[in-house]
Amino acid sequence: MSRRYLIGLAVLILWLAPVVYADDVSLPVHERVELANGAVLILSEKHDVPLIGLEAVVRGGAVTDPDGLNGLAGLLAGVMQKGAGSRDAAAFAEAIEVVGGELSASAGLEGINISADFMSRDGELMVELVTDLLRQPTLASDEVIKLRDRSINLITAAKGSNPGNLLPGYGNAFLFGDHPYGNPINGSETTLANVTHDDLLRYYDDHVGGDRLIISVVGDFNIEAMKTRLTRAFGDWRAAAVPLPTFIAAAKNIGRRVLLIDKPGATQTYFWIGNVGVAVDYPRRADLNLANTVFGGRFTSMLNTELRVKSGLTYGARSLLRRPSKPGAAVISSFTATSTTVEAIDMALAVLAKLRDSGIDDDMILSARNYIMGQFPPRLETASQIAAQFAWLERYGLGTAYIDEYGAELAAATRNSIAAVIDQVYPRAEDLTFVLIGDASLIREDVSQYGTVTEMSIDEPRFRP
Amino acid sequence: MSLFSELRRRNVLKVVLLYAVASLLIIWIVKHAVSGEVLPSWASEFVMLLLLIGFPVAVIFAWVYEITPQGLKKGLDVDQTQSIVYKTGQKLNAAVAVLGVLGLAAIVGERLLPEFELVRPEPVEEIPLRPVYDAAEGIGVPREITSYSMSNGLRIIVWPDYDIPNVVMYNFVRAGGRNGYPGITGLSHFFEHMMFNGASKLEPGEFDRIMEAAGGANNAYTSKDLTVYQDWFPRSALTTIFELEGDRLQNLDIDPDVVESERGVVYSERRQRVDNDNFGRLYEQMLATAFVAHPYQFPVIGWPSDIENWTQDDLESFYKTYYAPNNCTMVFAGAVSPEEIFQLADRYLRPIPAQAPPPPVRTVEPEQSGERRLLIETDARAPLLHIAFHAGSATDPDTQPMSLLLNILAGGTSSRLHRLLVEEEQIALAVGGMQMEGLDPGLVYFYLTLPPDADVDAVEARVLEELVRIGTFGVTTAELQKAQNTVLADSWRELATINGKASALGKFEVFTGSYENLFSMPEEISAITAAELRTVAAKVFQRKKMTVGVLRAPTGVEQ
Repeated sequence: MSRRYLIGLAVLILWLAPVVYADDVSLPVHERVELANGAVLILSEKHDVPLIGLEAVVRGGAVTDPDGLNGLAGLLAGVMQKGAGSRDAAAFAEAIEVVGGELSASAGLEGINISADFMSRDGELMVELVTDLLRQPTLASDEVIKLRDRSINLITAAKGSNPGNLLPGYGNAFLFGDHPYGNPINGSETTLANVTHDDLLRYYDDHVGGDRLIISVVGDFNIEAMKTRLTRAFGDWRAAAVPLPTFIAAAKNIGRRVLLIDKPGATQTYFWIGNVGVAVDYPRRADLNLANTVFGGRFTSMLNTELRVKSGLTYGARSLLRRPSKPGAAVISSFTATSTTVEAIDMALAVLAKLRDSGIDDDMILSARNYIMGQFPPRLETASQIAAQFAWLERYGLGTAYIDEYGAELAAATRNSIAAVIDQVYPRAEDLTFVLIGDASLIREDVSQYGTVTEMSIDEPRFRP
Repeated sequence: MSLFSELRRRNVLKVVLLYAVASLLIIWIVKHAVSGEVLPSWASEFVMLLLLIGFPVAVIFAWVYEITPQGLKKGLDVDQTQSIVYKTGQKLNAAVAVLGVLGLAAIVGERLLPEFELVRPEPVEEIPLRPVYDAAEGIGVPREITSYSMSNGLRIIVWPDYDIPNVVMYNFVRAGGRNGYPGITGLSHFFEHMMFNGASKLEPGEFDRIMEAAGGANNAYTSKDLTVYQDWFPRSALTTIFELEGDRLQNLDIDPDVVESERGVVYSERRQRVDNDNFGRLYEQMLATAFVAHPYQFPVIGWPSDIENWTQDDLESFYKTYYAPNNCTMVFAGAVSPEEIFQLADRYLRPIPAQAPPPPVRTVEPEQSGERRLLIETDARAPLLHIAFHAGSATDPDTQPMSLLLNILAGGTSSRLHRLLVEEEQIALAVGGMQMEGLDPGLVYFYLTLPPDADVDAVEARVLEELVRIGTFGVTTAELQKAQNTVLADSWRELATINGKASALGKFEVFTGSYENLFSMPEEISAITAAELRTVAAKVFQRKKMTVGVLRAPTGVEQ
């Protein structure tokens, strides 16, 4: 009788056993809690290593910077780490580093992000520091001024060295103009200089609070205890004084225009060419990611093959899709020796034309699908990575299906579905915005063939011409 | 007739007992199946629910029905004189006893055999990483790591880890900047590029196309000591990776046309990393100044004239010498077993013949006996200040204490130099520190970005004052503990990914002689004392061993 039971049980076990290796990706089991003030907690246990990763997002970010004060959200993120609760700036840094922890805050386009990574034994300290940083930052006047001036100097320093890092800042400012997506995330030398201590305090009251908060924690801890701790820490936090601002989508630019940023003596030209693309909730994202992988998203992409592998014009060429809540930029970006500026740009445009005319074939679709799926698991390998992924999904209201159904969507993409997406997303040859950094005296005339040229010096203390 | 005695007569109580014992046994089995991941985690609750629902059914069934020689009948229909409830009761007793013994045996067995688990479909070993605080005890070398030296001299190390269905391969080739000399500087780095550009069976570009189509990605880097090739791929691409790696290690096609095109790519990389990057420009000149004899003086990417002029012969002899199996160490981490790797290696890598060992780097840098200074004038908006001191190699006993000193001086916002120069006195925008932990003695290196109007000399004096202070007065216990915790926590973070595992194992193998040293490192770090730090600081931070470099805009004074 007992044997029959066991055999029956064995059959039941076999029947219930999950498929071990699926050609798919998925998020781990987790718990989502919405507190009464609107703050959202996402928790998931992961016990393979004694680490806890935390990602907090305060919705808002650079798009909520007041006019003329671009970089304020970024400055706030920096100053929040300069003392909070009972700790001054030095003690706060010390508390993190003495246990080998990591904690940083920075502004993104649409949120302030706080990332922490601590040994599991220090989970309580981590929550305490994050709570203090968010709820009780000291925001001392001297720290504000100090960080503001240092930030200005760091922008000046960057203009003198490897200016390619500043290219997206110039690019988005020119492409989006006065739209919030044109805001330089960490400000410009001019807008930062406008910031006062009062501006920062007001911004903190207006734009930081429980209703804007998402906290995602993954790692080696107990869910119930962590939930209790976070609920106690943030459950009674006030709301931000103003509602999250809304704005409309930017329209695609019509026609061609060129911004040339002059850096005398530069031996290479950095270029950024594109138009307004799509938003994060673009429904055909699997088709789009396949297209972008093939076009400019990996080493053997069409762009890198032509500009680097076949012609040796550059060290790297790629296509980038910025996808925030409203349509962001869809661009091609690369750099080349000053003397081959036109050759490289023409080649990039020819590759874009080829993508739009011919689309991508079935072999390439299969290759790109394998590539995306093959490279996906390491992106969700650590507690911190998974925490950041949960926070991002929550920030954009995407739900876990965004990851869990990704494999199926990739598998369903076809030549035709991808061709339709390419036509929608990638800019037409006649509607392109060009942003170049280089030695204007050597390329000014040549690049005027691409459209009306606006010129500015890299030493001008702003990113918008 | 009381309800109780009737319950007893109808064997209801025995059925309840049997049900309870059987349920406990089932719950025990399911619990283990769940913890062994043979069953999903909701299975426990599901089975509990079934057992709960089943309980009243079983009780009612036992009350209403009775087993007779003719089969199952309603108790009311059974002639009480013919009833065999007593015999059935005995059978039930026996069943309870059997199940009870089974249950007892299971519980005792579980105690005696703590590792007993239901067998999983795949080996899913987890490496129990203990918190940094226990590191002083040492964690020992994980048993699942296996290493192997092939007859052709190729060394292979495998660390199985089934956390994600992916694998990482690192191939550490002992060819780097130190293997260059005037005329071929940058050649090891150029090979890093050529290794992707075709082999006997593959057209240029095919290597990457095949790898990416199989779901893999790759990269490589060249340092002063090594060229390191990295493949990240799903388990399913394992054989493809061996085909590709085996082919390019044996049959690289050095096509003159491709060489010309790739010179352009490398030149673009040089413009990007050195010529248009102030840090890169100053760093290149610092090494060229600090080393006058040892080949660490050459830029890894090569001097421009060498990039333009190395010849086909240079390339072919370099490939033959350095890309030999006896000059490589391959590390795999991820969802693979050592057996799989060794089988594939046997097929794809064993046939590659060993070569004569590369010529040793004989030159030893003579001791520096006076400070060296250099200046680069360019249109920099913000001046850079770099300060370097001659120090030891990766295995020098001073190297680990120095890593702690660098953490205390320049690692993070609570470090001494950051706090003093960036936060308090605001005479620097950023400060960092590093040391070259290489095969030969290298440098300890500080780099600062200064505000546009900085007094560079004053900042230099301030840095040196702090370096002298730490050599004179040492560090506090709190500083030492912070540095130890940070270095160890960073090491745990590295070991949290299969990429970090492969990288760390390989570095320890190549630089210290054995990957096993990775696992004694925590103990060694924890054993370092504040007194040692002071001694090492005083020994290394000496003006006569120092090179100072400044990059700034022309002052106009000279004109």
